[in-house]
Amino acid sequence: MFYHISLEHEILLHPRYFGPQLMETVKQKLFTEVEGTCTGKYGFVIAVTAIDSIGDGLIQPNRGFVVYPVKYKAIVFRPFKGEVLDAVVTQVNKVGIFTEIGPLSCFISRHSIPPDMQFDPNSTPPCYKNAEDDCIQADDDIRLKIVGTRVDATDIFAIGTLMDDYLGAIGGSG
Amino acid sequence: MSDSEGSFSDNEAQVSENEGSEEEASTSRGKKRSRFDDDEDDEDDYDEEDEEEEGRHSKKKKSRGRGFLIEEAEVDTDVEDEEEWEEGAEELIAEKGRSRGGILDDEIGRQEGNLHSHRRLQMMLDRKPDEIEDYYRRKYADPKSDQRGFRGDQGDLEANDDIHRQTLLPSVKDPMMWMVKCRLGEEKATALQLMRKFIAYQNQKEPLQIRSVVAPEGVKGYIYIEAFKHTHIKAAIDGVGTLKMGNYEQTMVAIKEMTEVLRVTKQQPTLSRGQWVRLKRGVYKDDLAQVYHVEQAQNKVELMMIPRIDYTKMRGALKSASESEKKRKFKRPVQRAFDVEAIRSIGGEVSTDGDFLIFEGQRYSRKGFLYKAFNINAILTDGIKPTLEELQKFDEQPENLEIDLGEKSGSLDVKEHFAPGDNVIVPEGDLVNLKGKVITVDGTKVTILPKHDELNDPIEFHAHELKKFFKSGDHVKVLNGRHENDTGMIIRVDSGIAILLSDLTSEELKVRTKDLQLCADTATGVDSFGQYQYGDLVQLDAQTVGVIVRLEKENFQILSQTGKVLSVKYQKITRKVESKKAVALDSEQNDIHVKDIVKAIDGPHCGRKGEVKHIFRIHAFLHSRLVTENGGMFVCKTRHLVLAGNKVHSGSSSGLAMGGFSPLSPRISSPMHPSAEGKSPMRSPMHAGGHGRGGAHQGKRDFHLIGKTIKIIKGPYKGHIGMVKDATTSTARVELHAKCQTITVDRTRLEPATKVSGRASGGASSYTRTPSHGNATPMYGNQTPIHGSRTPMQGSQTPMYEPGSRTPHYGNETPRHDGSRTPSHSTSWDHVSTPARSEEFDEYEHEPSPSYNPATPGYQPDTPQVGGPFTPQTPGGMYSSHEAPFSPYQASPSPSSSSYQLPSPGNPLTTPSPMGYNNPNSQFFSPMTPGVAASPFNNPQTPGGGMDHMPMEWQAVDLECRIRALENKDKGLVGQQCIITGISGNVCSVLLIKEDRVISVDSHYLEPVRPRENERCKIISEGGEEEGIVVDIKDENDVVVMVGDRHQKYRIYDLCKVGSKD
Repeated sequence: MFYHISLEHEILLHPRYFGPQLMETVKQKLFTEVEGTCTGKYGFVIAVTAIDSIGDGLIQPNRGFVVYPVKYKAIVFRPFKGEVLDAVVTQVNKVGIFTEIGPLSCFISRHSIPPDMQFDPNSTPPCYKNAEDDCIQADDDIRLKIVGTRVDATDIFAIGTLMDDYLGAIGGSG
Repeated sequence: MSDSEGSFSDNEAQVSENEGSEEEASTSRGKKRSRFDDDEDDEDDYDEEDEEEEGRHSKKKKSRGRGFLIEEAEVDTDVEDEEEWEEGAEELIAEKGRSRGGILDDEIGRQEGNLHSHRRLQMMLDRKPDEIEDYYRRKYADPKSDQRGFRGDQGDLEANDDIHRQTLLPSVKDPMMWMVKCRLGEEKATALQLMRKFIAYQNQKEPLQIRSVVAPEGVKGYIYIEAFKHTHIKAAIDGVGTLKMGNYEQTMVAIKEMTEVLRVTKQQPTLSRGQWVRLKRGVYKDDLAQVYHVEQAQNKVELMMIPRIDYTKMRGALKSASESEKKRKFKRPVQRAFDVEAIRSIGGEVSTDGDFLIFEGQRYSRKGFLYKAFNINAILTDGIKPTLEELQKFDEQPENLEIDLGEKSGSLDVKEHFAPGDNVIVPEGDLVNLKGKVITVDGTKVTILPKHDELNDPIEFHAHELKKFFKSGDHVKVLNGRHENDTGMIIRVDSGIAILLSDLTSEELKVRTKDLQLCADTATGVDSFGQYQYGDLVQLDAQTVGVIVRLEKENFQILSQTGKVLSVKYQKITRKVESKKAVALDSEQNDIHVKDIVKAIDGPHCGRKGEVKHIFRIHAFLHSRLVTENGGMFVCKTRHLVLAGNKVHSGSSSGLAMGGFSPLSPRISSPMHPSAEGKSPMRSPMHAGGHGRGGAHQGKRDFHLIGKTIKIIKGPYKGHIGMVKDATTSTARVELHAKCQTITVDRTRLEPATKVSGRASGGASSYTRTPSHGNATPMYGNQTPIHGSRTPMQGSQTPMYEPGSRTPHYGNETPRHDGSRTPSHSTSWDHVSTPARSEEFDEYEHEPSPSYNPATPGYQPDTPQVGGPFTPQTPGGMYSSHEAPFSPYQASPSPSSSSYQLPSPGNPLTTPSPMGYNNPNSQFFSPMTPGVAASPFNNPQTPGGGMDHMPMEWQAVDLECRIRALENKDKGLVGQQCIITGISGNVCSVLLIKEDRVISVDSHYLEPVRPRENERCKIISEGGEEEGIVVDIKDENDVVVMVGDRHQKYRIYDLCKVGSKD
């Protein structure tokens, strides 16, 4: 799920940047440091939309570096258990399907794929297909439901399932 | 289990026990021979039993007539049984009279076991039908006998109460028991020996008067002898070898303890149908089996198990053909369900018996299981934990035999361990399917809070009434089994088995739910064992290395360089292999390092991309998150790889690589210093020393220094002189002259001892210039002059650097790396100010690494640079061209630059520079090094006579100086006065006063301008720290300078004018 929330971050700046472009540098650095990161609490920071305030810089003793507290608004993506999402298949093999939902990688185990869909290693690229020739292969779009997330300090990993109504390939129609 | 007792009584007792026993022994054989043939036999048996009954009088520990040695007596209830028997015996005697045959048959049948019944069957076949009828009638006619026959001593005697038993306890009137020491392990033999002795003596004059000998199982080193008097014991054990130790002392057992002697405390394992057991020995050793039927009395259990039949061995008609093979080594056949077809195909005969198939005397079920009776001794019953695989073998048999049985027994073996917080479900009973959460656990009582609309109060359950319950998506930890301590997310749960995706390896694990526990924190499982960690490269043997891809309880799963996964005990690992610095060439001759991203373009993993985790010779271990096997780890040959995003790799880089793998260097140095590209030619033999220093990798031997006499200039051994025995690029083994000791010294702390003399003589000797002195030389060469004042060498380069940025990088290490990167900057901050990088945010984070890591390949390029001064001084050139339109130093420095000699009195001394300390080190690697050549300085000085004590490096910012004659340089510069504006290594930036422009000048082309009266000056001979005003110049050697508020005398050569920019 996506959220637009206020966040805070501290920018550590080398003294060499002190100059007329200082604030610009701080902003620039905020973008590079924050966008694309992931925290367990808020999920993936997709984009910084606004910088609310850049506080007063504090010079670090002995170092000369300056710390700027920055408040900003950002769009974050936080996956939840039970959430239904569209994903892009990145890899298909006999243990299951690997997908990506934007920055989030999600694994669908063979046990979570409807039993009528069987892995076909002989087709190229390998895919899961059922009797009606529904096929899931790499680069397909599929809809899945997240059944669990593993949240590390800097990454989130999800496992998904296709065992529910309206889940599976959404290729042409989706 | 049981005690063997040889028991016998003396003649004075009513019946000679041993006689009876003997007789019994023979008759029992007779029984087997022809049980039903004649009545006499029965008679005999009966008599014997009868006698026995009578013969036991009041002694309780007597044989029941099964022989001297009862192999397996009942456990624990032994004493009771005997008592009961005795009690019952009296009553029974009458009954026996009536139904002796029945009793006997049953008794015997029970005792003899299957073997006998088989035999009986055989015999029956020979009999006439009416005889058989008679036999069965007799057998089952008398219900009493039947009952007694089966339950023997328990049936009728159940009523026996404690009072009766009490009367049977030994009293003072009974014989005493003595404990006699016996040779260890020969207790039973001794008992038998005593019996023989008893028999031998019984018709002698003095028969032994002992009553019994007992050698209980489990009692080591003692036997018990029963007798009325101590002397009887003595007589009995006299001369028995194994009892020698007991000759001197026999301990009488207290009456109360006598019963204890024969009580067998070990509990008979209570076997129940459906329980899992393992075999102890034989071809089925360690195989899992399920109890099918228990015959406690006979110590037999019938087990259901998976047969191991050798289907390769020919049977029946085909047998003879393969007879010759018989002698080949016995191989344990594999576990496989009984296959009738296979048996028939090898010539085996299979007959049927009801539901069972009979093959070679063994019974097999139609489902393929073997049903076989085993002795209870032959099986292990405690703590059997069937593995999932084994259970599956049982469960997955066709027709899915008694699957619930498996589960039941499973829960019997290992109780589920509940912990507060576990989700549980009630599997059966009134509250079936009720889910809840465990609140407290107290032994086997588990209190749960049900998740139910109407049940809101905690309910207490017995542990076995609950099952753990997991949903897919739960994050769990494995508590037991092969995957112990692994964690993962549940993908699916199927009747007691959960499939989970391991966090660590991204593999799917099948685990029984009872071995799982919810794991709140997302632990990573075991990732290290001792010194080894998940992902480490380890050496297995001389040829094999591998990466640990999984840690199990006792094993490591190791992906070897051949791509195979080996399961290795951790003891077998030789060592951990460090591959951080390893470099290999990919298919395009790029250097690949650990942490590089590469793509496989050939081989089994073609098309995969991954990060290099380890490199071992030609193999690279890669990791990719998209690979599921082995936790994403796979191994490729490096020539099947290509570096992703192939950065700077051009001809130059490969050229460099050949020069000893210095892949990083081009990236750093070449873009900034195109001149650096011309390294290889510079690496001329002339600079072999420098080459050795810079070019050799850490740890390589540097032959150059070996044998040299050096002086230690720093550290606890400062001042010692010694000879270098061995040297690497960073350290040297020095044998001290003064002490009989060889020590290891950092190379930066060494200085050629000859240098000392050189300095003492007042002039620099020429060897500083000599290339053969190698790398080390420049260092001292530089240092020596510095000795007095640190600053002088610093010259004209200042504009390049913001003065502020220098300070933080004041260190020993720094110069090394800048030497390697930007040769002309001998200070470490230079790359910070490099324009090319200033936009990178992370740039300052890079700073420390190169400077403190002398081993980085970036190190390399300085080697060629060493040659700098001898060739058209590239670095300096570059910078000067940067800052000033021309550079006076294109020429290689020559020692003959003698203009230095001209002392110019007018130069006052100015501020010191902190750079001074850096200089000596930076010289080391900076391109100027060899050129530092104190010699150019010194040479002129020496003739100068008066300049003996002239500081070599006097240059400091603000000092006014004059440019000396330069060869092949812009002659217009010579003689111009200038003010030093900045110093970097040996290059000074100077402001030409006349032309008002800044140029870079090699510092030894500068000479101080001597101050005149009333001019400000610096005392350059004292490190250039002090500043003063010249008060009076009497002559060259007598100049009065006011320093602070004191007047001091100096020689004019000690002074340098401080320039003013206006």
